[in-house]
Amino acid sequence: MRVELKGITKRFGSFTANDQIDLVVEPGQIHCLLGENGAGKSTLMNVLFGLLRAEEGEILIDGTAVNFANSGDAVRHGIGMVHQHFMLVPVFTAAENVVLGFEPTRSFNRLDHKTANAQIHELSQKFGLEVDPDAVVENLSVGLQQRVEILKALSHDAELLILDEPTAVLTPQEIDALMEIMRSLARDGKSILFITHKLKEVRAVADVITVIRQGRVVDSVPPTESEGELASLMVGREVNLTVNKEVTPVGDVVLELRDVVVRDDRGLAVVNGVSLDVRAGEIVALAGVQGNGQTELAEAVAGLRRVESGTISLRGRDITNLSPREILDAGLGHVPEDRQRDGLVLSMSVADNLVLNTPRRAPFARRGTRNLTAVAANARDLVQRFDIRTSSIDATAGSLSGGNQQKVIVARELSRPLTCFMASQPTRGLDVGSIEYVHRQIVNQRNEGLGVFIISSELDEVVALGDRIAVMYAGKITGVVEPTTSREDIGLLMTGASVVDHV
Amino acid sequence: MSEVVANATSDAAPEKSPRRRWWERYSSTSPITLTMLALVLGVVIGALIIMVTSATVLDAWRHSFHHVGSIGSTLKITFDNVAAAYRAMLTGSIIDPTLLFHSISTGHGWSETMTPLSETFTYATPLVIASIGVGVAFQTGIFNIGANGQAIMGGIGGTAVGSMIHVPMIIHLPLTLLAGIVGGAVCGLVPGVLKAYTGAHEVIVTLMFNYVVNAILIYALTSTALQLPGQANGISRNFDASATLDPIFGAKSGLRVSYGIFVAAAVVVFAIWFLKRSSLGFDFRITGANPNAARASGINPKFIVLALFVVSGGLAGLAGVVQAASTTHYIDSGFLVGSAGIGFTAITIALLGRLQPMGIVWGSLLFAALGVGGRAMQAATGIPLDLATIIQSIVVLFVASPVLIKEIFRLRKGAQSFQMATKGWSS
Amino acid sequence: MSARVDVTTPEAAVPAVREPVGRRRVIGALTIALGLFIIFVFGFGSAGGAHSVVVFNPINLSSGAPWNLSNLTVLTRWWNVVLGLVALALGVETWVRRPAGALARFGVGGVMFFLALLLWSVRQPGPAPIGTINITSVLVNSSAVIMVLIFGSLSGVLCERSGVVNIAIEGQFIGGAVAGAMVDSTTNSFWLAALVGIIVGALVGWLLALLAVRYIADQIIIGVVIVTLMGSISSYLNIQVLAPYPNLNLGNQPSNVAIPLLYKIPVIGPTLFDENMFFYAAVALVALTSFGLFRTRWGLRVRSVGEHPKAAESVGINVARVRYSTVVLGGAVAGLGGVAFIATQGQFQPGITSGYGYIALAAMIFGKWKPSGAVVASILFGVSAYLVQNLQNSNVPISTEFLTMFPYLVTIAVVAGLIGRVRPPAADGVPYQRD
Repeated sequence: MRVELKGITKRFGSFTANDQIDLVVEPGQIHCLLGENGAGKSTLMNVLFGLLRAEEGEILIDGTAVNFANSGDAVRHGIGMVHQHFMLVPVFTAAENVVLGFEPTRSFNRLDHKTANAQIHELSQKFGLEVDPDAVVENLSVGLQQRVEILKALSHDAELLILDEPTAVLTPQEIDALMEIMRSLARDGKSILFITHKLKEVRAVADVITVIRQGRVVDSVPPTESEGELASLMVGREVNLTVNKEVTPVGDVVLELRDVVVRDDRGLAVVNGVSLDVRAGEIVALAGVQGNGQTELAEAVAGLRRVESGTISLRGRDITNLSPREILDAGLGHVPEDRQRDGLVLSMSVADNLVLNTPRRAPFARRGTRNLTAVAANARDLVQRFDIRTSSIDATAGSLSGGNQQKVIVARELSRPLTCFMASQPTRGLDVGSIEYVHRQIVNQRNEGLGVFIISSELDEVVALGDRIAVMYAGKITGVVEPTTSREDIGLLMTGASVVDHV
Repeated sequence: MSEVVANATSDAAPEKSPRRRWWERYSSTSPITLTMLALVLGVVIGALIIMVTSATVLDAWRHSFHHVGSIGSTLKITFDNVAAAYRAMLTGSIIDPTLLFHSISTGHGWSETMTPLSETFTYATPLVIASIGVGVAFQTGIFNIGANGQAIMGGIGGTAVGSMIHVPMIIHLPLTLLAGIVGGAVCGLVPGVLKAYTGAHEVIVTLMFNYVVNAILIYALTSTALQLPGQANGISRNFDASATLDPIFGAKSGLRVSYGIFVAAAVVVFAIWFLKRSSLGFDFRITGANPNAARASGINPKFIVLALFVVSGGLAGLAGVVQAASTTHYIDSGFLVGSAGIGFTAITIALLGRLQPMGIVWGSLLFAALGVGGRAMQAATGIPLDLATIIQSIVVLFVASPVLIKEIFRLRKGAQSFQMATKGWSS
Repeated sequence: MSARVDVTTPEAAVPAVREPVGRRRVIGALTIALGLFIIFVFGFGSAGGAHSVVVFNPINLSSGAPWNLSNLTVLTRWWNVVLGLVALALGVETWVRRPAGALARFGVGGVMFFLALLLWSVRQPGPAPIGTINITSVLVNSSAVIMVLIFGSLSGVLCERSGVVNIAIEGQFIGGAVAGAMVDSTTNSFWLAALVGIIVGALVGWLLALLAVRYIADQIIIGVVIVTLMGSISSYLNIQVLAPYPNLNLGNQPSNVAIPLLYKIPVIGPTLFDENMFFYAAVALVALTSFGLFRTRWGLRVRSVGEHPKAAESVGINVARVRYSTVVLGGAVAGLGGVAFIATQGQFQPGITSGYGYIALAAMIFGKWKPSGAVVASILFGVSAYLVQNLQNSNVPISTEFLTMFPYLVTIAVVAGLIGRVRPPAADGVPYQRD
């Protein structure tokens, strides 16, 4: 199937997310759509999949113009999509999820489970994607959930498969397997649109790479293009992909984890006996595929989740299961994983967000009454020092770009006296400029002698920042290695291979 | 502010011609415009209800069905009916121009002239207090639907202290008001504790608690020392004179408006300080806007829920005792029950006032005027008082759905629309 | 320095240890408390020689007597102690084992409580003038309340499964009741009354859907205000229309339809098989809703919209349309429930629904958003509501005010012990906006 997008323009209010985009996907082609976060890739795919309607432009399938009223229409035209955030109903079975919207029925509108299961079985066989049709999706691992999502996308004889950032939740080995699946699908004549912002993946699998920047197509290039060239196409300027770090002396242990066990909301011990030290003046980076307990570990350190057993201490002081307030006051700086959920109040002003966890501290309040002059002075100071781009300190945090929202949190945390600075996924969803800025701030803090604990599922980030890299798999640390360790070895640790020798 | 870096991103507003800007300012929907439009819609729908349920109007239409020529008089009858009702409502709640003219020209009868306004203020007083209580809770994302029960408990507590303790006024009145606050706060604390420690949804618990409190009221009035001695009916002892909120213009003026409005004014001032300037109020607002961020910022959500129910319930309780101490000076089994329930009205007023203290003051005055005017309308035209409640409900339905009003009046999407924090059962 | 890695021994998966469910403990403790209360208040609180007489034949034998069952005379104290021990045993089991069916055990404990309360209240010698308790008439009379609670909670189940919180059940009741009374009085047909009641309930549901789905207003607030609106409209109509035209509010009641043979079964027969059409409709609706939601394509789609609207939309399901139609359907069911009020109580009066819409909401939550669960909860609440009214009339030495509170306190206790553990549909109460 040949799919052609012609002059697609999509606006949200005054913001143009897609501006006159042209794109052609040939049959049997793996076409990569490369672009930074916020470049408009997902918007474009949602337009192609009928979830959004473009203001201008048209979609041609095998030369005929089509018009999708909803995604059901897109599916009927042979388009399948694997969404970045899985479109699966957690309490339904795999089979129910796959057939949803196109359910086989018997008399009285009854669901035909037998036919549904047979369909899934057949698909699994055909593409080598084994899944138990009766398994409830929320009980499946993320990798298996993605399989269900792929099966669902393929189940209606899809000729074009859209994969929206599918690798974020996978180990390097799982990524390789996914790429193999993509190649075999392409050999069967299916077209694939692969959306990503990761340069290595693009070069490994793509037939053609189209780069998008700020809603426009910048260029279409072959995969032989170098990483550096791709990066500068994507960002629009020369990018320094490495972080410069000086060698600094390492001090005392500031954050100490001993045999920490933490359970998730379902009661599973997702952190299962983790021990780790962070010393002053070093960056310890915790690597691992998402969903291996890092999130819960960070929450436990910040006091947001109960520690079942084991101890956490901050410069020798036991902070296990203290309240978040006490842990903040003990000197833990915390950049939460989901900044909009845990880090900011989007409807409040930048100034208020900059004192969100210190509202009672002098000089911001006195005897229960807030000193708004001091709050404003603090905000003006931090906005300048941390280069936060905002129309005013009274603008809501929600009006800021993702990078500037993150700067607000970083500024807030670094503006109070800290013992240890912990940042979860500090650059997730940020543009390259902001990533560089945040990385520089983190390294500066380390150079000034602060202990820094970074939790990231981006291998590039972990390798670039970490003085030591701890790898987490299935609730355990599978190894602590030097940043010079090969990516393959770190990747193996991320799949749970046990370590014979480590630092 | 030179320190602030100018916004370089694309969300700066595109250039517009001055004329278009003028039009946008005119039609961009400020909260006040929205409320006024909602009121217009309420009044129009109320008029329709009057028409289709009035026997006179219906007879006239039936007649004109057979006699085409009489359509003019039919329209007049319809108009007169509706106009009479709304005229009675207006003159009964604000001021009657005839009486006003009479008072100005003769210098007498000011009492009669001012009675409607006095009544409106009297009704508005407890509404302001209770609505601010509800509004504070809403701002924190908590639906306190139990304000009515809390007000009744406040009334019970206040009446007990006001009627059964005998001390000088300087102690007695504050003590009575405090007892009302405590009664409401205790009653609010129960759902608060249940929410904080078991996660029970406050909507269900506070709803159920209203029924429980109704039963407690009957019990207190029939089986305890609070009952007026020698009475078989559910009626309380009378307040001591030292515990009542007296009419400002003296008992002889005939105007009931009491010193209670100063209590309400104090509550408004407190609420403005609390929400805008206090540290606890800041915690409340953070929790309401984003409970996850609140927790991560070291705010203890359990404490906030408890504090909130104490503040919200306490204010509702204060409203209850103000109601009793300023109007009847006793409570009976009909106290704040059914259509007299200020708690439910408070919920709607809090929304109407967009949870802001001053908005709530205006909303309370509007609703009090509708209620007082409704009574006058019932007396003058026989149209049931419930019409006022119908109009109130419709106004709030529209105010809670700003998108709908904008669509009806074809307004531009200009101003920010008011949206309550919405959540399901699990949060 | 590079780490050497052993590829052949991947780590075992995370052990699937489940956290002990604390709430089941709480429910166990509640059941134990219930058992102890029965033993010591209703058991040892009765004099040693006191007797209670249990009657199984209905009082009203006009429509056909069931097969006869003789009266049962029991020793109040020891029967109640036994009932209490059953509840106690269930409570202890729940406390220790924390089984999945904790709530069902609490329900059985509740039944024990009611039985013991009945035996205790009619003991002779004792305070009550009548020394017999008629189990059949308790159930028959409760069935009127149970029926409306079923209509209400089914309405809630439908709406909330599609992701819209329906607090306006009470308002749909009121609308159905007013319309039902007027239509039945003018046409003398309960079939037409039911039809119009359904339409009015559906209209109220439509109003809720319009504001909640299309205009993304807050569902809880809209629900509360709709109840106020319907209450004031009904009260307005009552004064302005029903009072001057009494022939619009005659208060007819439909006759019962006995199902041949089945109605003769003692206790069950008069309760289940000799009822009016609304009761049978309620039973049929339970089966239909359960089948529809969990066996059909329609149900799968409704549930997908209530759980993950975005996923539903990504496969071409029109979220707004599904929510609209389901909420209107839910309103129709509650509207029929409103007519059922008229069918059992006769004339319409303001306040006729006496908050049962809210109790139905609690029943739906108690029933874990399932039709079958809603039925169990409706029975529990219905029987307790009837008993409260009935015990108030007999001279039982319990303060009537405290009896009145009882169903509400039970609801609070249940909700406190339950929510948070039971999972509502994930998108329940959250408006869905396409980008």
